[in-house]
Amino acid sequence: MQRLSVEEDFVENFRARVTRAVAARVEAALTSPTPVHERLVHFWSNHFTVSAAKPGAVALPPSFEKEAIRPHVGGRFADMLLASTKHPGMIVYLDNWLSVGPNSRVGQNPNRGRRLPGGGRPSGINENLAREVLELQTLGVNGGYTQADVQALAAIITGWTYERPRLRDLVADNLATRTGGQLFEFDADAHEPGPKTLLSRTYAQTGVAQGEAALGDLARHASTARFIATKLCRHYIADDPPPAAVARVEHAFRDNDGDLREAMEALVDSPEAWQTPFAKFKRPEEYAISVLRSANVRDLPLGAGIAALAAMGQRPYSAPGPDGWADTADAWLTADLVFKRIEFAQAYAERIARADVDPVQLGQACLGGLMSDETETAIRRAESPVQGFALLFGAPEMQRR
Amino acid sequence: MLNRRHLLAGATGAAALSFPLFAFGQAQATDKRLLVIILRGGMDGLSAMPPVGDGAYASLRGRLAIARTGADAALPLDDTFSLHKNLAKMHALYRAGELLPIHACATAYRERSHFDAQNVLETGAPGPFARGEGWLNKALGALPQSRPEMGMALSAQAPLILRGPAAVATWSPSTLPDVESDTIERLMALYEARDPALAQALDSAISANAIAMDAGAGDMRAGPRTITPIAQTAARFLKNDNGPIAAVLDMGGWDTHANQGLEQGPLARALTALDDGVDAFKTEMGPAWANTVVIIATEFGRTAAPNGANGTDHGTGAAAFLAGGAVRGGRVLADWPGLTPGSLHEGRDLRPTTDLRAMFKGVLADHLSVSNAALERDAFPESASVRAAQGLLRA
Repeated sequence: MQRLSVEEDFVENFRARVTRAVAARVEAALTSPTPVHERLVHFWSNHFTVSAAKPGAVALPPSFEKEAIRPHVGGRFADMLLASTKHPGMIVYLDNWLSVGPNSRVGQNPNRGRRLPGGGRPSGINENLAREVLELQTLGVNGGYTQADVQALAAIITGWTYERPRLRDLVADNLATRTGGQLFEFDADAHEPGPKTLLSRTYAQTGVAQGEAALGDLARHASTARFIATKLCRHYIADDPPPAAVARVEHAFRDNDGDLREAMEALVDSPEAWQTPFAKFKRPEEYAISVLRSANVRDLPLGAGIAALAAMGQRPYSAPGPDGWADTADAWLTADLVFKRIEFAQAYAERIARADVDPVQLGQACLGGLMSDETETAIRRAESPVQGFALLFGAPEMQRR
Repeated sequence: MLNRRHLLAGATGAAALSFPLFAFGQAQATDKRLLVIILRGGMDGLSAMPPVGDGAYASLRGRLAIARTGADAALPLDDTFSLHKNLAKMHALYRAGELLPIHACATAYRERSHFDAQNVLETGAPGPFARGEGWLNKALGALPQSRPEMGMALSAQAPLILRGPAAVATWSPSTLPDVESDTIERLMALYEARDPALAQALDSAISANAIAMDAGAGDMRAGPRTITPIAQTAARFLKNDNGPIAAVLDMGGWDTHANQGLEQGPLARALTALDDGVDAFKTEMGPAWANTVVIIATEFGRTAAPNGANGTDHGTGAAAFLAGGAVRGGRVLADWPGLTPGSLHEGRDLRPTTDLRAMFKGVLADHLSVSNAALERDAFPESASVRAAQGLLRA
């Protein structure tokens, strides 16, 4: 029997598994009695992006989201950062399994290292994960770090990898009671020995404790509080987040040791979050879910549903890069994407149009006082129920939040 | 199809301001066309355009060195440079004098973040996140507005290079069902009344769909590795009398950190897709190819030496290409810094000696007749010291 490499195994199996995972994600969003929680899962799984757009990581985002993100959205940021950085999904997506300290035992004798699928063995430091932890996940690109800090963090997390033979089980859902995060493995032979200095602080710990300490400090850094608060407010309030709200969330985050529940409560308590008309243009997945929830559609036909999300620009689990999906209207409010939303509205209008549901009543039920007179009049004057639903789903009030 | 002027007359605010209505139909039509292909992820220029004649190349590149002879040998350009063998169609363009390969080039950016580097490549600014507008948008905005949208993105979203005050079109193939024009008109009325930004986007989509349908855009579902169908559609838009004069398409798949391959593998496949796409675009343009420039650029090059994973990491000096009937090609444009240890940038990357902004400025000035003032003030801020390259195009 021909043995498949782990990577070949992914590709072999990915389509069905990712499709099932997308269905589970959408189903959770559509049926959850606590949609606020699902929204947070989506936000954080985008902050810590693991994308199926990278072939080597193609089957990993769902388990990453389930195991590294979901348990922590109401917990502490430091825990989520650590869970993310130790999860095989992130370690594969941002290449840390390929990173070998030059003075480690493997670095000194590359034949001791793991064999790569295409031949050869990894022999040097790979900065990818360390760079994105600093730039995209903690301090932010202007958070006050240098290339030397990137190199230091990269050296600190050399040897952070995963149990290779078991990755196949993770992909195949065969792990029994273990989670993907428990496949984390510290490979002491690949770890760059010695103390390292990151952001002027020297980490003299040995082994995995060195990285755990460094990530803990990054999670509690003032730049991180600012960066996370800005991203939360940009996501929930406005593309150009109001400084007063950012400051409130930043303080709540910092004063409570990165407690994400406290940060969210500060955000929800901000008057800026409740101003109408709503300024945020929904991203395609948010838009689709809100249309389907309002139409009481509880399932998305798999192939067509994923194709529709992809057509609107947001194939689930497939963000274009480690910076995740854009969170501002300029990326989404474009001619082509707006048109594709109208096509989506039409498709679901056709699906749910029935004699016993009136589009005006549905609009009143799901938009309440937010429905404009113009929209209500347009729906009333529609030539058919299908057109009425299409106008409701395509209306400006449905596009923004 | 809806009447644009009628719609705009009813629009207010941002929508009305960004359409210089007075200019439609008055400006002199140009027959010059520009396509920009952005290779996202950092194309390995030392594989795409290997300097096989540089004495340090083979040893520095080691396992990733492209052969000079044999079945998989690179295609020679001059004594120093060759093209990867999977760029055979672009090599034919070179021999016809229609490809100008550029090496050891870079933007003003010297760090190694994709996002910052692409930001600088597209904004034309000296540093990342200095502004939210792209140089192509600003350059097109400085031209006589001879058509409703001077620029177009062959993607669902306009990339940063095309974002800014000038109206641009976006178009990508659809897999969703058709919507009756009556429903679209009713939504348009609703958007005009309630949401000018949505109204503007929908109006632009209606125009783009009309052109794509006229041109018979058929099944656009392309494999993950090909850009051929979308490049052909770009040509159809650019050929259309009311279509854009400049278009942008994106191509990913260049971030080859591991197992990038040599004559085969992910990088070689990406090069084939690029080669096929450029060739298909040329064929579809037909006679208009003679007045066309294609800019092919990436955000940075990759490390000069392979990493431990048979790949290359983010680097600095890159390769780029100008193609088209308007290009004075058949020669290599490079102030070659060499690959000896002392000549590498920070001891690891190809040293950039050519500023990509000089190339872009040269094309915009000589091909599209963008004024010097607009280039300095609007398209490439703080770039006075970077002079537009001369003689890139046929006289």
